[in-house]
Amino acid sequence: MSELRNILEDSVNRLFSDQLDWSALEKHEKNGWAADLWAHVTEQGMDKVLAREEAGGMSGSWSDAYPIIRACGRYAVPVPLPETILAHWIAAQSNQDLREGVPSIFSKGCALKNGKLVLTKEGLPWGGRADFLIGIINGDVVIADTKNAVVNPQKNLGRDDRDTLTGELDILATHPTPLDDDTVHWLGALLRSAQIAGASAAALDLAVQYAGDREQFGRSLSKFQAIQHHLADLAGLVASVDAIAITAFARLDSAGISGNGRNARFEIAAAKCRASEAVEKITRISHQIHGAIGFTYEYGLHFVTRRLWAWRSEYGGVSEWGENLGRIAVEAGGDKIWPIITNKGQ
Amino acid sequence: MSSIADQLRFEPASLPPESEALREEVRVFLNTELQDYSVIQRSHSWEAYDAEFSAKLGAKGWLGLTLPKEYGGQGRSAFDRYVVVEECLVAGAPTAFHWVADRQSGTLLTRYGSETQKKTIIPRITAGKACFAIGMSEPNSGSDLASLKTKAERTNSGWLVNGTKIWTSNAHRADYMIALFRTDPDPNKKHAGLSQFLIDLKQVKGITPRTIENLAGGKNFNEVAFVDVELPEEALIGVEGEGWRQVTEELALERSGPERYLSCFFLLRKLLDELNGEENPAILSKIGLQIAWAITLRNMSISIAAQLQAGENPTLAASVVKDLGCQFEQALPGLAQELCQLQPTLEGYGNSYQQILGNLIQIAPSFSLRGGTPEIMRGIIAKGMGIR
Ligand SMILES: Cc1cc2nc3c(=O)[nH]c(=O)nc-3n(C[C@H](O)[C@H](O)[C@H](O)COP(=O)(O)OP(=O)(O)OC[C@H]3O[C@@H](n4cnc5c(N)ncnc54)[C@H](O)[C@@H]3O)c2cc1C
Repeated sequence: MSELRNILEDSVNRLFSDQLDWSALEKHEKNGWAADLWAHVTEQGMDKVLAREEAGGMSGSWSDAYPIIRACGRYAVPVPLPETILAHWIAAQSNQDLREGVPSIFSKGCALKNGKLVLTKEGLPWGGRADFLIGIINGDVVIADTKNAVVNPQKNLGRDDRDTLTGELDILATHPTPLDDDTVHWLGALLRSAQIAGASAAALDLAVQYAGDREQFGRSLSKFQAIQHHLADLAGLVASVDAIAITAFARLDSAGISGNGRNARFEIAAAKCRASEAVEKITRISHQIHGAIGFTYEYGLHFVTRRLWAWRSEYGGVSEWGENLGRIAVEAGGDKIWPIITNKGQ
Repeated sequence: MSSIADQLRFEPASLPPESEALREEVRVFLNTELQDYSVIQRSHSWEAYDAEFSAKLGAKGWLGLTLPKEYGGQGRSAFDRYVVVEECLVAGAPTAFHWVADRQSGTLLTRYGSETQKKTIIPRITAGKACFAIGMSEPNSGSDLASLKTKAERTNSGWLVNGTKIWTSNAHRADYMIALFRTDPDPNKKHAGLSQFLIDLKQVKGITPRTIENLAGGKNFNEVAFVDVELPEEALIGVEGEGWRQVTEELALERSGPERYLSCFFLLRKLLDELNGEENPAILSKIGLQIAWAITLRNMSISIAAQLQAGENPTLAASVVKDLGCQFEQALPGLAQELCQLQPTLEGYGNSYQQILGNLIQIAPSFSLRGGTPEIMRGIIAKGMGIR
């Protein structure tokens, strides 16, 4: 583990465990934009882990960013920190620095028409709050001003903003990028995999804690074999989601995401496919262990499980990523699939 | 709040370049060596017994890779061994002859064996010329292994053994058995009354293996009767009464390898060939999910190899991977049956894909028995999580 990654893991956990207990999450859910939290996050430069040093960033690797993005899942962070980290990285790939303000990212089907950006119905993370949008169209990074957009407020199951924007948006800047047009979709999937890993870790820890505290039939739930087996099953699933997510981050560092050949796309697809699949069982078991209390708003398991259900589908779910990998496998056939898995040629 | 999720993490590890170079050599070797084996033979994977093949692998220097050089091992890394093992599994190489020796017996003897045992036996293991059997289970002691009753009593010249082992793979053709016996009948010493022994099956008298046919017609495991079997003093491995601790370490080796998810990989490969040209998204996505699982398990498995290489004892992590890996490989034959119209058949009927499918559907139930059941693995995981 790199030293930067260790330091970031510590400081991000400290920040969020101070800032985001259940009552804070409830308050943010009721009040909307968590301005104070966003201020804390940006003051500490968490959003700039992948930005260039010239721009006050850390020039870190994706593996360094992993603990921050995982923590965004673990603490159900209600601000677009993962998306902003990605936005800085996209800018840095063109040797640019991201402008000041809150960004949102767009991924699919948006077009340039008469020098304006025309959006689809994609739900944009905190799109209504964003100062500008960033995405990739025809080999260019496109940065557009949100001021003329008509905002249609939307939320996902986690009650995080996923607004759709309509109208023709002014372009603030474009610059050529080596990244493919679908990069935001792929890396969006990668971000959600890490957030799922984090939120799953939180669900597991809550379930273990609760099973130890709650007594029935004169002993704590965790003394019952059926519950122990549920927890062991849950722990294995949670560890597996974390393992493949962090593998995909490491692979992105070493092999990139663009161009032909064996880049990180294989691992990213696997990470989102596995993470999305695991959500079903992870949420089911963690709720089952909690009994009725876990079904209340007051007990905060739902802050992570509702987000897990939302993130499961965002940027493609099991069927999309499964199909992607399945197609690669069937086209490769029995003799070539293993060399692909072991990284040798494609 | 202490976090279980943070304790149970798999740090990504990559294989060093020398291991990747070794992989290329192994692939080339297996490609040539396995040409004349039928795909059915290859689908038996680490259950297929072939002394000649094992000797060839030994001659290449690819067995006992991690064992110390002074005893004839290669002194190479856990990663090198990992690569040889996974390439053999994926290729469907017949590895049963050397499997146990290479995976656990060699390491066990290196740790606890006498100088003589190490000097005489380890070179045979690395040459692929010694087949080992594991004498743990008994008719009345399966999951509750420590309840076993076969006893070894001290005599003037050594030990006298009476009792019965069962499910002992390859006992009818192995050279050695490493067995766990009760050396202290005191009922208060359930675990502390156990010791491990090395038995030369080709020399010692009074041991009668009776082969038990499995449901698919395979003849691999045995019931082994011990009637007044005399063992020499030096048959004891390690310390008397330390057998349980030693066996626990041995089981950690037995449970940590990639065979716990790759037993059916050969079938997955053949299924991909059968699905050539498939366009149905629902089918593709089911295949893709299996690939995603395979990539995940492989990375977890390599992470464990890295922990072994670093001299750590990854018992909890290995139990998790075995439990997940077993679910993955056990579900594959059923999925293959679901996704492809061809019926499973017995050997000798149908095409080769149908026969492989037929074989693996029948042997899949054993995946969650050998090496410890999921119920037992989950008990170990729960203990590692501090809730049991
Ligand atoms: C193909 C094959 C090869 C084998 N090779 C060898 C070998 O070479 N050497 C050797 O020593 N053994 C070998 N075994 C034996 C294997 O280790 C045992 O089958 C295994 O440990 C389970 O023991 P059992 O079969 O007696 O089942 P049991 O222990 O009787 O278990 C039956 C069922 O009850 C469950 N159960 C048992 N205890 C508990 C509990 N406390 N809580 C919840 N559920 C429980 C089990 O999980 C299982 O589902 C082999 C087995 C197979 C199938």
